[in-house]
Amino acid sequence: MRFNILIGGRAGQGINELATILARTLGKIGFYTFNYRDYGSLITGGHNFNIVCVSDKKVGSYDDNVDLVLSLDEKTLEIHKKRFTDKTIFVVNFQTNQKNSVYLAADRDKTENMAFATAVFKILELDKKHLLDEVKIRFAGKSLLAKDLDVIDHFYDKDFGYSIKLNHENTSKVVMNGAEAVSKGVIASDLDVYFAYPMTPSTTLLNYLAKEQDGNFFVYSPEDEIAVANAGLGASFAGARTMVGTSGGGFDLMTEAMSMQSITELPLVVYLAQRTGPSTGVPTYNSQQDLLVSLFGGHGEGSRVVVAPGSPKECIEKTNEAFYLAEKYGILSIVLSDKHIAESDFSFNEFKLKPLNIPKRKLMPGMSNLKFRTSSYEHNSKGDNTEVIEEINESFGKRLDKDKALEKEAKKFERYKVYGKGKNLIIGFGSTKGAILDTLDSLDARFLQILYLSPFPKEISSFIKSSKNVFVVEANASGQLAKVIAMNTGFVIDDKNKILKYDGRPFTPEEIIKEMAKRGVK
Amino acid sequence: MAKVKKAKIQKCALNLNTSAINTWCPGCPNFLILTSFKNALCNLIETGYKKEDFVMITDIGCNGKIYDYVDISGFNTLHGRTIPTCFGIKCGNPKLKVIGFMGDGGAYNEGLSHFVNAGRYNSDMTVIVHNNQLFSLTAGQTSNVTEKGFVEKTHPFGLKEKPLNPIVLALEAGATFVARVSALDVAEMERVMKEAIKHKGFSLVEVMQPCIVFHNFSDFLKTSSYKVHEMPREEAIQEAKKWNYSHEGKIGLGIFHRRTEKTFEEKNLDWKK
Repeated sequence: MRFNILIGGRAGQGINELATILARTLGKIGFYTFNYRDYGSLITGGHNFNIVCVSDKKVGSYDDNVDLVLSLDEKTLEIHKKRFTDKTIFVVNFQTNQKNSVYLAADRDKTENMAFATAVFKILELDKKHLLDEVKIRFAGKSLLAKDLDVIDHFYDKDFGYSIKLNHENTSKVVMNGAEAVSKGVIASDLDVYFAYPMTPSTTLLNYLAKEQDGNFFVYSPEDEIAVANAGLGASFAGARTMVGTSGGGFDLMTEAMSMQSITELPLVVYLAQRTGPSTGVPTYNSQQDLLVSLFGGHGEGSRVVVAPGSPKECIEKTNEAFYLAEKYGILSIVLSDKHIAESDFSFNEFKLKPLNIPKRKLMPGMSNLKFRTSSYEHNSKGDNTEVIEEINESFGKRLDKDKALEKEAKKFERYKVYGKGKNLIIGFGSTKGAILDTLDSLDARFLQILYLSPFPKEISSFIKSSKNVFVVEANASGQLAKVIAMNTGFVIDDKNKILKYDGRPFTPEEIIKEMAKRGVK
Repeated sequence: MAKVKKAKIQKCALNLNTSAINTWCPGCPNFLILTSFKNALCNLIETGYKKEDFVMITDIGCNGKIYDYVDISGFNTLHGRTIPTCFGIKCGNPKLKVIGFMGDGGAYNEGLSHFVNAGRYNSDMTVIVHNNQLFSLTAGQTSNVTEKGFVEKTHPFGLKEKPLNPIVLALEAGATFVARVSALDVAEMERVMKEAIKHKGFSLVEVMQPCIVFHNFSDFLKTSSYKVHEMPREEAIQEAKKWNYSHEGKIGLGIFHRRTEKTFEEKNLDWKK
């Protein structure tokens, strides 16, 4: 059973902190949790909210309706009206006529959040010990810790008048967001240098890596994204295992350097976290509008790896593969993320990554009696710039051969996955995975998740051929994945079979089920 | 051909030549920059620097061709992006001796924000700007340091804007070694390049390099220069303001300013394995 908790209030009230504590603590108890974060482009005020979906089964989305509301301000009750049902319970810290509401009467200071968290524990009949433990770790050394703990004890004794018993597994779940998971993949890949210029939603990864850099690798934000990308290639030239990170317009600024990567063959991994475009767009919201630019951004012709993880586990694995392929083939590897995967919390059973054995550089400047030369100009095997026909053909040919070898080796990795049973086929990539998986019990459809957008798994044709109707679910307006599928397999997905959403908000399972029903699939 | 100021051009014992065919115009002062650079390198290697530690990063334009003419590690990068590339190399391996070659177009137009930030970071690198006050390889368009009134195809009525003063800019931004030399003075170029490469921190060597095809200010350089001596930053800024990149008055040549300050690498990269 899925249970949705909405937490709403003003920016600065610690909405996300509260939701994260709940998602992570409930995960530790054994619930599967999913935590969606929604915020506007402002620092304090406005309206922020999270929806934490709790379940005894795997969960990767939230639902249209909510069961419990933690309302940190009056506006929450107004803004989210459409999500409420007759059974929705409200916990508030202000006087209201709202039906089914409980008044907390907590101090309106920074410990208010703890009173709300405690209310959830009490209503769900959960042992407060888990909450106390989490808070002790999270706020260790903070001045408010003692008061936080008192608040938990105090409110746990309060009678809220509601109690709900939810089932859960007994094994603890790891709960983390996609950006944190990418950082784990990066660290497992033995990174040397990370450059990024702050830009939502890629900054989340920058924060994680900056925090972890001590003594192991170097994280820095140079003056702009152009410097980031070129310094990235400089560091790689020097022999460092290098990654750069950005979003939307930042990637546009980097594309000239991406093109230079192709000709210099300097290994480089790029973290590209998509947001709603075009242009500044809706900067703190989600999209999958940058698939095509991730595949083709940059002038001239060169190939690249583009991986699109759809869960934290895949973020860890695919990031590690991105480094492996970049270093082995001197290629550009793009880890294509987005706001929804980067900043939502997902729960999963603990697993241990077996890091790939990433090849070490054979040639770099500073090696005695050796030279290392490379150029943005077409160059021969010694690195000398050239305009000679035979040398141009040889160098281009060498890069094309390398692409073939890369394509062959990439086959050993999981480049797509198929889930569920059914006559129809839904194809998606990246962050839509969570919501699509959560629909499969209700639909006569399989889900084909594409993990490698490049080199593309052409063998998916067989799944297309063996399905009655083929659909794409994408968070963009033009069906970019459908275009990539057509380009690689020749199969053109009918426009009416494209389920597209471009308002920056994630799909809910109900939306997908409704859209599929309109198209005759139940 | 521009006349070379008579000076002893020392013979380099180390062969830093390559087999590449040089495509600079016959008589171009770039040949003199190349000679000075090879001599400077040779001298530094003879006095203990390791050849393999030197890396040259070159821009786009006539300056960039130098990539093919010196037998050391190198990276011929994008137009205007030499400085961030140098910066990245230092972050990747702080032990490397990094020397960037740029034109005025790359340093002062396309890559201006990198140029300013380089002063701010004080990363340990040397940037040598071949300043012919023009985009020459693209057949002679004005740059940010072309003198007012210059007429060319894209400015048929003459350039209306005044030039930037990059020496002032570099000093203001915090560069810890700032020099300007004439491409016609091989011995002085060699001396200043050596000092710049030895300097710990960001060093700028602006080489005034007449373009003998599109912008030949050789006579001005030969007749109107005076020697500047190292001075504190504020004084150096005032000194640099005395010449505004028009070909009038007197142009100061030499090392304007040098000071010791912690480098970016010393401040940030002390963790390095």
